[in-house]
Amino acid sequence: MTSESSTGTPDQDDLKLRASIDRSLRHPVMFFFASGAAWLAVAIILGFIASYKVHDSDFLSGIEFLNYGRTYPAHINLLFYGWGCQAAFGLIVWLLARLSRSECRSTGIILTAGHLWNFGVMAGTLCILAGRGSGKPLMEFPPAIWPFLLLAYVFITVWSFIQVRCSYGGKTYVGQWYLLAAVFWFPWVYLTGHLFVFVFNGHPVMAAGVNAWYKYALILLFFTPVALGTAYYLVPKITGRPIYSYSLALYGFWALAVIGPWAGMQKLAGAPLPQFMPYIGATATSLILIPGIAVGVNLLMTLRGHQAHIVASPSLRFTIAGIVGFLLLGFTGMALNTPATLKMTQFALTGYGFEVLAVCGFFSMCAFGGMYFIVPRITRREWLSRRFIGWHFWLTTYGILTVVVCSIMGGLFQGAAQEAYGSSWSDAASRSYAYNVGTTVAWGFIALGSFFFMVHLLLMWARLGKRSQHPTLLDGGHHEESPHGPDHEVEELQPAEA
Amino acid sequence: MTFKSFIVALGLSFGIPWLLIILVPFGKMRNLDPVYFETENDGKDEIYVPRRSGLITTGSSVYGANGCYICHTQLIRAGYAGSELGRADWAGFQIKDENGVSVNTARETTPFDYVDEPFAHIGLMRIGPDLTNVAGRIEKYLEEPLTKAKSPESWLYLHLFNSSLKTKTLNNSFACPPQPHFFKEQPVHGQGSPHAVPSLSKEGREVLPTPKAKALVSYLLSLRKDDAVPYSLNYSRDKKKAD
Repeated sequence: MTSESSTGTPDQDDLKLRASIDRSLRHPVMFFFASGAAWLAVAIILGFIASYKVHDSDFLSGIEFLNYGRTYPAHINLLFYGWGCQAAFGLIVWLLARLSRSECRSTGIILTAGHLWNFGVMAGTLCILAGRGSGKPLMEFPPAIWPFLLLAYVFITVWSFIQVRCSYGGKTYVGQWYLLAAVFWFPWVYLTGHLFVFVFNGHPVMAAGVNAWYKYALILLFFTPVALGTAYYLVPKITGRPIYSYSLALYGFWALAVIGPWAGMQKLAGAPLPQFMPYIGATATSLILIPGIAVGVNLLMTLRGHQAHIVASPSLRFTIAGIVGFLLLGFTGMALNTPATLKMTQFALTGYGFEVLAVCGFFSMCAFGGMYFIVPRITRREWLSRRFIGWHFWLTTYGILTVVVCSIMGGLFQGAAQEAYGSSWSDAASRSYAYNVGTTVAWGFIALGSFFFMVHLLLMWARLGKRSQHPTLLDGGHHEESPHGPDHEVEELQPAEA
Repeated sequence: MTFKSFIVALGLSFGIPWLLIILVPFGKMRNLDPVYFETENDGKDEIYVPRRSGLITTGSSVYGANGCYICHTQLIRAGYAGSELGRADWAGFQIKDENGVSVNTARETTPFDYVDEPFAHIGLMRIGPDLTNVAGRIEKYLEEPLTKAKSPESWLYLHLFNSSLKTKTLNNSFACPPQPHFFKEQPVHGQGSPHAVPSLSKEGREVLPTPKAKALVSYLLSLRKDDAVPYSLNYSRDKKKAD
């Protein structure tokens, strides 16, 4: 089915409904996107500093709060909570309102909760930099902060959950399953992680195990479904075709739901806790390739024959990069978690490469795709500059690819030297030197790319975008028909029974 | 599929792993049964009490807050999972027993090794060496001819202040980042403070460790795994039964 055959004259009521949804969500969604982009810029700068310090320990060494042991956790936490979660909130709130066809009536509460979230993230980051972090990976914010973040989360997303609940029954969409699952799993994962580490008095090794599981659960059960939900919304919407295979979508979704929650404890292989736990974690991480291939094949097949759209549409281009990122995540997860490689990768830079691939290479790319689509609709302006989008895309794509390749390759050399117990320990550090330098340089490029994005986004929020009926496209050509499709068809094209 | 059954399915797909790898193991590991020395294997019959002394809880939180766990691990993996057991002075030491026979005390980490710590600092990316037995290693470093430190404490203070100072030979490109914020400099009054770090004092000025630095060093010096563990808990390759 092509877009021409599917489009009738859109119902006037429908257009009005969409416009009113967009209007109602303009401020909360722009707030999440803009503050997320700002935290992303801070996270990237901290990442650059931290990475620099890996190969030159004297860099900025006189400044206490920029010590490696503080910049690195601040960098990772901001990447997850400052940028990732807020981008996800914006996407969840907008997409679920559109997919369940109902206006948002709680924008005031969402905005307030959004401020609470930002305040929590800021307080937590300042505490980490001041040397008051908790010292538990990805939970470095002091223990007083997590209840506030959870409270903020509930007040941001509960309305979307209710919207879906009320509209459920008629048509449901693949994107909806993923987003709903993310909304449902996040509080469970977040609460489990923090309760079992900070509140319940358990065994120290088991606390470390829950902590390791939490990181993967957050990636696979929150960031992954949000990114895939966005991709499943955008691809059919922009190309104007239904997704390639409904049963493949169903299979990919439940594969992720069944495999994802087991992953993560491979960090504790060989530690004194029941050994089935780390190895089941390693197995589950390897098997992420299954939903990876299901989603990748499904979306790429949907896009087959739409090269013109891919070239022209910034949203589609970022989304495809994200889907390729998900496939790469599946392959690296498999390669790095076999019994032979796990020995080398358990305590090496590869883990960092894997996290950056998941959060930046996969999730962020899909989120950028969503933002390039959503922002013009809620601000009623078009993106200002084709060049800015292009720079953002290329700098980010190549930058992230370089960070990931350098961290994983450097980490493998480092891990192999660690395992060679007969030779000198200093080999382990020196073998990854060149790769560490590469990572630092790449963060510099990513910083530049995200600067273009942030400036562009802030200009759009200030409603300085182009007043035009034609979306800003990357190929600069004039299209008879918008590659973003007439603005109504996904709902009609995508009925599916969950 | 209705909304309700969809949510139930999501709950089950998550809840089953949650139960099996989080809730049940957490509950089971909360109160580990004590381990006993047995007459048959250990030559004595008593309960094993893991012992550590020092400012463990405070030191452990300073260790975490300053991100030591990012570069340093604290885990001797079992032989099938990694090779720490083989690396010299990481998992244990070559010592002479009471009969003058050389034995290797290398052993895997046991669940009792993190006693008194709320959270096991397993570690993230091992840019620096493992610290499971760092206290024992430092005693060996003190015997090196080029070292400037005179006691384990002063070795660690030098390491924290600027890791290139503690010995003249170390290649500094991958050194631990300097942490001068753990120290304060002050003019010498009278005979000087007994707590001043010897090698850091300059004319008329002395360098004192802050309470955080003292807690951290005390914690690091508690990291040694050389107490006798029961035969049943000892995974060392060279373990011997008592006669």
